[in-house]
Amino acid sequence: MSLVELVLTVVKILIIVMFFLNMAALSTWADRRQGAMVQDRVGPNRAVVPLPNMVARGIVLLPPALFGVLSIFTSLGEVTGRLALERTTVNVQLAIFVTWLSLLVLCAKVRSGGAINRAERVFEDVDPRSIFFAGLGVHALGLVAMRFVTPQGAPMAAKITGFVLGAIFLIVGFYATSRVPEGPIPLRLAGTLHALADSIKMIWKEDFIPKNGDKVLHGLAPILTVFSAVVVAAVLPFGNDLCFADGNRNGTLDFSDLGNLVATVPATGQCTGFRVPLQIADLNVGILYVFAMTGTGIIGAAIAGWASDNKFALLGGLRAASQMVSYEVAMGLSLVGLFLVYSTVRMGEMSAWQGQHAWGIFVQPVGFFLFLAAVCAETKRVPFDQPEGESEIVAGYFLEYSGFKWGMFMTGEYIELVFSSALLVALFFGGYNLPFLHPDGLTVAFGDTVLFQYKMTHLAVSVISVLAFFGKTILVTWVQVFFRWTLPRFRYDQLMKLGWTKLLPLAIANMMVTAVIVVALRNAGPAAESWLKLLGDISQGLVAVLTLAGTVALVVGLLEPVERHKFLVTSSARFAAALGGVKPTAQEA
Amino acid sequence: MAKRTFGTNPWTKPGSTSAPPTKVIARPRRTAEVQAYLPEFFRGMAVTMKHFFKNTKEMVLGQKPDPVIESLNDGVTTISYPEERRPYAERFRGLHRLTLRDDASPRCVACLCCSTACPAQCIHIEAGEYEEGDPRRGYERYPKTFVIDELRCVFCGFCVEACPCDAIRMDTGMHATPYDSREQFIYRKDLLMEFTGRDGSRKTANTRHEPGDPTHPGLTREQGEH
Ligand code: SF4
Ligand code: SF4
Repeated sequence: MSLVELVLTVVKILIIVMFFLNMAALSTWADRRQGAMVQDRVGPNRAVVPLPNMVARGIVLLPPALFGVLSIFTSLGEVTGRLALERTTVNVQLAIFVTWLSLLVLCAKVRSGGAINRAERVFEDVDPRSIFFAGLGVHALGLVAMRFVTPQGAPMAAKITGFVLGAIFLIVGFYATSRVPEGPIPLRLAGTLHALADSIKMIWKEDFIPKNGDKVLHGLAPILTVFSAVVVAAVLPFGNDLCFADGNRNGTLDFSDLGNLVATVPATGQCTGFRVPLQIADLNVGILYVFAMTGTGIIGAAIAGWASDNKFALLGGLRAASQMVSYEVAMGLSLVGLFLVYSTVRMGEMSAWQGQHAWGIFVQPVGFFLFLAAVCAETKRVPFDQPEGESEIVAGYFLEYSGFKWGMFMTGEYIELVFSSALLVALFFGGYNLPFLHPDGLTVAFGDTVLFQYKMTHLAVSVISVLAFFGKTILVTWVQVFFRWTLPRFRYDQLMKLGWTKLLPLAIANMMVTAVIVVALRNAGPAAESWLKLLGDISQGLVAVLTLAGTVALVVGLLEPVERHKFLVTSSARFAAALGGVKPTAQEA
Repeated sequence: MAKRTFGTNPWTKPGSTSAPPTKVIARPRRTAEVQAYLPEFFRGMAVTMKHFFKNTKEMVLGQKPDPVIESLNDGVTTISYPEERRPYAERFRGLHRLTLRDDASPRCVACLCCSTACPAQCIHIEAGEYEEGDPRRGYERYPKTFVIDELRCVFCGFCVEACPCDAIRMDTGMHATPYDSREQFIYRKDLLMEFTGRDGSRKTANTRHEPGDPTHPGLTREQGEH
């Protein structure tokens, strides 16, 4: 392994670890927050850091100023060809986005705090929704306008739009800074600081070890849990393979080649230069490595239960061990159908297959639900959280843990949650692929009829694919958190029955049926192949349409004003109403 | 099979032999739908997601129903306490305060009515004489120390009722705050005199007529000689 490969690997490890750790902290918060929003509570939003005024102004000013200067400086250089067109598009869309978003924020500010000058008074009677819709309209206009940019004019357009974008960033930054109120500013970030405050608190708490417990094992258990949760991420492919050209023609990848990302890649993803997969380790055992590593997590929980010298902890450890061992079997077998279809166990190839054909959830719907159930049981979260059932065994295997060791169990659990979501995305939700996005750009095609085509550079496709992977992971994590607030806990015998008598036979049946179908289709000839291709394209179209429709429905639903009628029933309510209730603002927005 | 006669009382309803209509509730059956778990799972997810989006939307748009002003709509009904406070009722009995005269001395005349009335026996007063030459000397006294143990107080308001000079009031609108030691709950005269009523004033609404001033309606020391 050469030095450049080592450096690239370290960078990839950093990306993955940062993502997982941050997501673990965020999902601890999101878990509570979502529960609060489901159950009509306010939830964690208390942690406040009072920032000195200068610091607050700096935080408001720095990012826009940085982006503004960056955008102006990058526009000074020359760009040509498709890259210029792409940059113009991004500049225009970003400029529009920044403009309407800041207008929206300003409008909200004016409506809540009052206008301070004549320009702001304009916004007093403007409905924030109309700013949003106008912004969307201008976005669409911007896309249409891109059609009139000729390839000769593109470099100039990229330059001008870059300067405009920079100017907008600077104006927004400076105006927002001038609007920062006097005095210390409470920084709350919607309560996300709560997780941070908690972790700081956990460091300082007493690290309690039971008197008769095993000191070494007691310390080892949380480490094992976090270790197994983190190392599994090594095989996750989180983006398109990058393709670098051999700039100095010496036949090996070295640091000078890293600047030579090839401009475009053909639709097949063929790479003539050096291929750098966005995956820490492209192991040939792929998914089997995941199974092996999650298996060690069992040891962590079991040791924790044993070393705590507490009967409840021991029971919890026993439950955890038997549950995880049982569901490991179903988890492995439920994926065999998928291996037959993809005919590989390498994670990278699985993602690529899904991009070319159809997402895993369409080819293995039964396998998906079996795997989902098994993976929920593996992460020991509701409805499979008997190992820590508060009502019976207090907190189960980490009952005797406090301080940062307890924090490690907690972090481990949430990393496992995020990782299981990433695994679901990689195996069933297309990995880093988006519908109709091929290595050479957007091609909406059903069978052989091409409806729409838009060529993109390799860089743009790669960035989009990485964003798609992490975005999908966040979305699936969000859905998984909802399980906790929806489903009641199973009884322990139900859990075992579900694992051994439902999931396992179903997984085996699914495997056999899949095998028969796969063999039949392989021998069916070219006609069946083209039909399958069409079906795959239709499934991609379905995903695209459903995603669009869901987004539109969500936005429309969230923007619709609430109709509310007030009824003052009791005398105390009337008194409170006379005093203005608890809210500083009016009820109807 | 014997005729079913349950639910009828032959003493009050001698003619009735037919059974009253009973509502038979079918035992929930474990249908394939229930056993499969998935339909119910999706239904449950739909319910929680609906609540989630509804409540989130109301919170973000600032439209969550005011939990104090009652409304028949559901939604987030908790308040973000330190930022939003429930308005206390007009006659809410909060922490005590001692009202002041125009010259910023306490109105209290150390008559001990309040400490006598106090069921919790949490008021301690030591009376003192005004200085030589003060027109109030010999006419009324003042509290040298005035201590209330707010931790013992049951907030019954008897002290306020008992006070003949409206010198002690509970209209601060403040509730007892948590401290970390009992000592901090012992409120002394200076602190009690520092509190204001909810209108921000340290005085009472009742005017006071000092001895010797012409508005004074009662007996003065000059009249008292015999
Ligand atoms: S409110 Fe009641 S208990 Fe409290 S000091 Fe006054 S008389 Fe005593
Ligand atoms: S507060 Fe009122 S009742 Fe209590 S001693 Fe003073 S004057 Fe008398």
